[in-house]
Amino acid sequence: MVFILGNTFHESQLLKKCLESFYGIGHQSSSRIMAKFHIFPRAKVGSLPNKTILAITAELSTMKIENELRRQLRENLSRLRDMGSYRGRRHAMGLPVRGQRTRSQITTARKLNRVDRIG
Amino acid sequence: MASSGCWKCLARPSGSLTSQLALRTPGVSAAFSTTTARAALPIKAKKPSQARPALKAKGSKTLRIKKKAPAKPSGKPPMPGERKAMRKRIVLSNTNALEVPMMDFNEHMVADPTMAGKVVALPGEVVDSLRAVEAFKVNQGWGLFRKPALLLREESAVLGQKMVAAEKNKEAVRLVIDGERGSGKSLMLLHALSAAFLRGWIVLSIPEAQDLCNASTEYAPLPGTNPTIYTQNVYTANFLAQIQKSNSVLQTLHVTKSHNLPIPLPEKTTLARLCELGARDPDISWPIFQAFWAEITGPARPPVLFTLDSLSFTMGLSAYRSASYELIHAHDLALVQHFVTYLSGEKPLPNGGAILGATSRSHAPVSASLELALKQALEKQQHGEIMTKKDPYGKKYDTRAEDKLKSVEVLKLKGLSKVEARGLMEYWAQSGLLRSRVDERLVTEKWALAGNGIVGEIERGVLRMRI
Repeated sequence: MVFILGNTFHESQLLKKCLESFYGIGHQSSSRIMAKFHIFPRAKVGSLPNKTILAITAELSTMKIENELRRQLRENLSRLRDMGSYRGRRHAMGLPVRGQRTRSQITTARKLNRVDRIG
Repeated sequence: MASSGCWKCLARPSGSLTSQLALRTPGVSAAFSTTTARAALPIKAKKPSQARPALKAKGSKTLRIKKKAPAKPSGKPPMPGERKAMRKRIVLSNTNALEVPMMDFNEHMVADPTMAGKVVALPGEVVDSLRAVEAFKVNQGWGLFRKPALLLREESAVLGQKMVAAEKNKEAVRLVIDGERGSGKSLMLLHALSAAFLRGWIVLSIPEAQDLCNASTEYAPLPGTNPTIYTQNVYTANFLAQIQKSNSVLQTLHVTKSHNLPIPLPEKTTLARLCELGARDPDISWPIFQAFWAEITGPARPPVLFTLDSLSFTMGLSAYRSASYELIHAHDLALVQHFVTYLSGEKPLPNGGAILGATSRSHAPVSASLELALKQALEKQQHGEIMTKKDPYGKKYDTRAEDKLKSVEVLKLKGLSKVEARGLMEYWAQSGLLRSRVDERLVTEKWALAGNGIVGEIERGVLRMRI
């Protein structure tokens, strides 16, 4: 088992997949992090030396990911709500924000558009 | 009103007549006549199954819209790495194929043009060495024959002569083998490798440049280099292991120079042992490779053969990224740079030898600079002057690749001659793989169908195609 930023990963997993499992890290960020530490794209977590894992963890801890990023998202939504803007109101009501029709097909909006959105 | 009946009516009863007759015949179910009813079989009571099927009980099977569930795999799944091993497995012998009496390939045949068109067997120790350097490839059909054999061609004699001359004059042959898809470029490399093994050269071979350049193996910047050079330590360690395994001559050669290595080196270390040390620890593999190269290019050493297949992968950007997220040029990878430096002739081989590259025409990126360099080199060889100019508007050229390919020689492989094709087909017939009689007609037909003797196509048409 390998620890990256408090999470455990199996040794046989690809490092790229592990990095992308964090909220806020996608293809771009993960590739850049890996390039920074000269890790080839098909590297498995188990094959990396402990030093590199620690450096990656340090790098991740400087980034705005996971809960910090989620909090920022919620703050943005609550700011919209407090201002009383249309977007804020629509989020609060769980309705589409960008002018879509609401006669049908708004399940995604119902699911996601909340002021206390998870992520 | 004229009657519908005519004189024919007497012969054939009309419709009205028959209906009248039918009315008069006593019916089977007539109540007053019991005779026929008794003679008949009793009327069966209708079975419920023959009636409309009743509604089934709730929960029983009805119409199934979904497809069948996929069959559960029986047996255990392959272990990690097993499938790859299966994919890369090289079979060199087929016990069902007939044994063919033929000569063994020896060092005198290497440069003999009179041997063109003959198929020779590869000796056992050469086969072991070739296997160690991964010279046999999966799709080459070695598994069809009793033992690995090689067709000697005119071009292979030309290459052999160059190698022998290089050995004599202590020069380096710097050559790129080119030709159509299926024209035998990789097998020409194999010929060169086996010739080198037979003549006691030191052989280094990169079987597939793709493995170095498509970001599938570890890389690390080499400290203290500007511009940064990247080493591929795991690949280099494996490369050293292959060198040690394939070159038996290294057992007899000892380290003579002093090297600045991260590990202490005892006196009288053999070069085989040196390679083994590098193979064991990837972290020190690159300095050890450099030390090894310094040793084999030192005074009084055998000639060196260094080959690389799929050259165009090395003539452009690799798939690796630098720390600033830019693609790394393949010439910034240490091992590739090492090969290319010698291919370009920037550094000489003091004991003679050959640096050979082969292009790949089936699955390789197109390198505009390589194409241009090959074309120009061929024109220079054939006509003495360069006729093709660089496209002034072309943007796909790679200046670094151009620099390195300026003075390189080209061996252009064409199709087999008919004599060679016949020799090959006779070998197939003797092996029991070709059932028809090998005569002028068959050879000409297959030769013509294969684009004037492209050997891969002849093989496809004769051995693999089943109509």
